[in-house]
Amino acid sequence: MATSVPQQSDIVIVGGGPAGLALASALSSQPAIRDTLRVVLVEASDLSKVRNWNDGPSTFSNRVSSITNASQAFLQEIGVWAHVDEGRTCPIEEMQVWDGVSDARITFSTQDDHASFLPDASPQSQMARLTENLNLQRALLRHLDSNRTVELVDNVKVQSIVREEREGGGWPLVHLSDGRVLRARLLVGADGFNSPVRAYAGIESYGWAYNTTAIVATLFHKPRTSFQAQNTIAYQRFLPTGPIAFLPLSPTASSLVWSTKPHLAKALLSSDPAVLTSMINAAFRLPEVSLRYLHQQILDSVSNGALISSQQLREEISWRGRSHHIDPRSAYSLTADTEGVPPEDADALPPVVTSIQPGSAAFFPLRFSHADDYIGDGAGARTVLVGDAAHTIHPLAGQGLNMGLGDVESLFNCIHKAVTNGGDIGSRTALLPYARERYFENHKIMSACDKLHKLYSSTSEPVVWARSVGVEVLNELDSVKAAIMLNAGSRSSRTPPSGRQIGANFAADAVESIARSVAGVSTLTTGVAGLVGEGLQRVLQTVANSQRR
Amino acid sequence: MTPLRGACNAARRSLVYRRATSASRHFASLHAGPANQSSVNPDEIAHFSKLSQAWWDERGEFGLLHKMNPVRIQFIRQKMLEMRREDGLDDVNMARPLDDMDVLDVGCGGGLLCESLARLGGRTLGIDASASNIAIASLHASADPGLTSTRKGNHTLTYEHTSVEDLLAQRGPKSFDVVCSMEVIEHVDNPAAFLTNCATLVKPGGHLFLSTIARTPLSYALTILAAEHILRLVTPGTHTHSKYINPDELTDFFLRLDSDPASQSAVADPPEVRRPWISRLYGSVPARTEAEMRGIIYLPWKGEWMLVPRGAAGASAWAEACNYLFWVRRPFE
Ligand SMILES: Cc1cc2nc3c(=O)[nH]c(=O)nc-3n(C[C@H](O)[C@H](O)[C@H](O)COP(=O)(O)OP(=O)(O)OC[C@H]3O[C@@H](n4cnc5c(N)ncnc54)[C@H](O)[C@@H]3O)c2cc1C
Repeated sequence: MATSVPQQSDIVIVGGGPAGLALASALSSQPAIRDTLRVVLVEASDLSKVRNWNDGPSTFSNRVSSITNASQAFLQEIGVWAHVDEGRTCPIEEMQVWDGVSDARITFSTQDDHASFLPDASPQSQMARLTENLNLQRALLRHLDSNRTVELVDNVKVQSIVREEREGGGWPLVHLSDGRVLRARLLVGADGFNSPVRAYAGIESYGWAYNTTAIVATLFHKPRTSFQAQNTIAYQRFLPTGPIAFLPLSPTASSLVWSTKPHLAKALLSSDPAVLTSMINAAFRLPEVSLRYLHQQILDSVSNGALISSQQLREEISWRGRSHHIDPRSAYSLTADTEGVPPEDADALPPVVTSIQPGSAAFFPLRFSHADDYIGDGAGARTVLVGDAAHTIHPLAGQGLNMGLGDVESLFNCIHKAVTNGGDIGSRTALLPYARERYFENHKIMSACDKLHKLYSSTSEPVVWARSVGVEVLNELDSVKAAIMLNAGSRSSRTPPSGRQIGANFAADAVESIARSVAGVSTLTTGVAGLVGEGLQRVLQTVANSQRR
Repeated sequence: MTPLRGACNAARRSLVYRRATSASRHFASLHAGPANQSSVNPDEIAHFSKLSQAWWDERGEFGLLHKMNPVRIQFIRQKMLEMRREDGLDDVNMARPLDDMDVLDVGCGGGLLCESLARLGGRTLGIDASASNIAIASLHASADPGLTSTRKGNHTLTYEHTSVEDLLAQRGPKSFDVVCSMEVIEHVDNPAAFLTNCATLVKPGGHLFLSTIARTPLSYALTILAAEHILRLVTPGTHTHSKYINPDELTDFFLRLDSDPASQSAVADPPEVRRPWISRLYGSVPARTEAEMRGIIYLPWKGEWMLVPRGAAGASAWAEACNYLFWVRRPFE
């Protein structure tokens, strides 16, 4: 590699996915940062494909994310949301989640009681907004193109990262495939699951593959009738093989995320699209035993080389429906005539899928992984991870991208604060609040989703029994719901506490701080911090009391 | 407010002055003594030179000091912006409140504060009596092109191995818009002489920022007993409790300090011409345009230092209890 003179840069962002672009956008939106820092973003792929993406109004990209209200508010604040084509997005007003074995069901919407635990129980018209990833990424690029303060380097790969040799600690030198070398005060890894920045920083990642694959596709269906709510309800059924989710995009199109076993996903995708369509409809409706049977049929047909025809499958499905005594007038029936007055229970299920947008079916392996730290240290100093580089999560709560945007907002605030106080944005001191704010937040959501996945994958008697009586269901769903609803709700969870709140937050924070301290500080100092903390608590209580008066 | 904060103080007192050492120095000595007799204490310099390698290890002994730095800058920034508004200047550069100012940091140690001052726009000079601190500080700044470049509009930062009295002799009085000295005064044998020298370097209308520890039973327990002797967080011998200075002692000093400190002991001005830095107190508190004191506390559960909010209940109690920041402005002539 030709060695060129390193170019000085304050922030080098590796990765032009949603997280990297959002960070670049946020930085460019803030004058104090824009005027003082030189920011470069490096992306391996061709960003002009995203920039020029222009799907017609009736087709949709298969990568879709539910953007929570918190994420949307952040995007609005930094001036990005105005560039999103809102006509292509769809509000979610209600979510219906049920157990595939016991049928225990939980519904939540912005109207229901549970929403009242939101800090300022103001009724929101939406819980989240379904948005194509490309729609968001294009908006981010438009925003960046409009203010031109971040240098975007696309079609260029980061080839290697080495530490500059210098007494007292060198900065990272980022070698690009075009021969350039960037010297980074702060190197941001927004480079996805296989993060080269994480490797350079020497940060280990903890996790496992789920042996589960997510099938995504854009689904077409009839519009809801005028007797029904519009297509603004998201549905998710937890099957032992994984959850299947139906996410509304428009009155006649919705997005599928179906987590299932890899061999089954492969078999389904190699079958006739009409077979996949029927299987999707069945997966939301038929009892679990029949689904298991049908899956076996599909697998067998693939291994025999005699692919099952859609006609055969439809007959099989309607026979199974009859043998389960599914009322043909009910929404669960797959033979019912879908014209006319809809069945009473129509809102309990997604509309019947009529076809799949050609070329939209694809699959992704799912995994759980969480980096041991978000900021590099020692030889890996001056590095920070955001988005999937820091964590990958099961998509069942639709939180992956939102967690990445949460990271970006927090890191952006940290950088802004450090710049305001004349700090070195690459220093551990400047970055530590970011890791503190995000690590446990993300961990909470991740472990709730992981637990849910495992709980629902179980067909063992006691677990199913527990699920059916609703104990576990409510417990576990509540944590995911809390994650979703909290993010869906107001942003007050993130506004800094006033002097008055400091005392009130003390107890909660103290618990967390103990957990945090254990990681880095010796037990001795932790003990002391605790002791002094008690003294402080009294003083703060006095402060809080006096302010209340 | 933890014993850990002793570590911070250990970090700062790299500049040590000595006059005739009296074991039980009373605060009254703040008002005594000619300015030119303070000198550097070689034993203490050696002590801190040993520590200086650790200056930029953010997880090492000086970790808490690194965390304290943003709070100090926050105070300096707030105060500078407030005073510029007070002076009727509305074209203030919020991002660089020290733009175009000559800034001095006395006892700069490894350069933590200096680098930040330079990033806020100040033409910054850091001085320290320890040559090894100056070496560490210069080396660290040399990695950062934003600090070392002299291109117009860029930050400038220089370091010098010297003492405040030598600098005064070399540059003359009224040379700096802002003079800072953080956690130094409690290690100085003649604080009155030291303060007078620092004050003399300030231009009329300029600013002096100090930080130190109050002399209270709490500060003894935390910084000396716990931090040095029990927990050994800080090398024993770092602090001398009798040298700690209380906020009212500082206020008192500036109530008596003439607007032109250099002239004070020589020719006695007629009383009507005398203009002390702090003209009067309003129930033991100076006017906010003349001087201000703010406590800083460590919040162990956040791992951050916090500037005690203005007007918070017990705010003055905090300052009196342990660490505090102090700002005072030299009157215009
Ligand atoms: C099936 C599925 C459904 C999902 N549904 C949702 C949902 O409903 N809601 C939600 O919030 N999230 C969802 N997610 C998660 C979401 O898609 C991801 O969290 C998000 O895309 C991560 O964004 P990122 O920017 O962190 O990483 P990525 O999008 O992975 O971007 C990383 C970028 O780095 C670049 N890069 C990598 N290495 C280099 C290199 N050496 N040089 C240069 N560039 C490099 C890559 O080209 C890539 O563009 C889903 C995920 C899956 C798999």
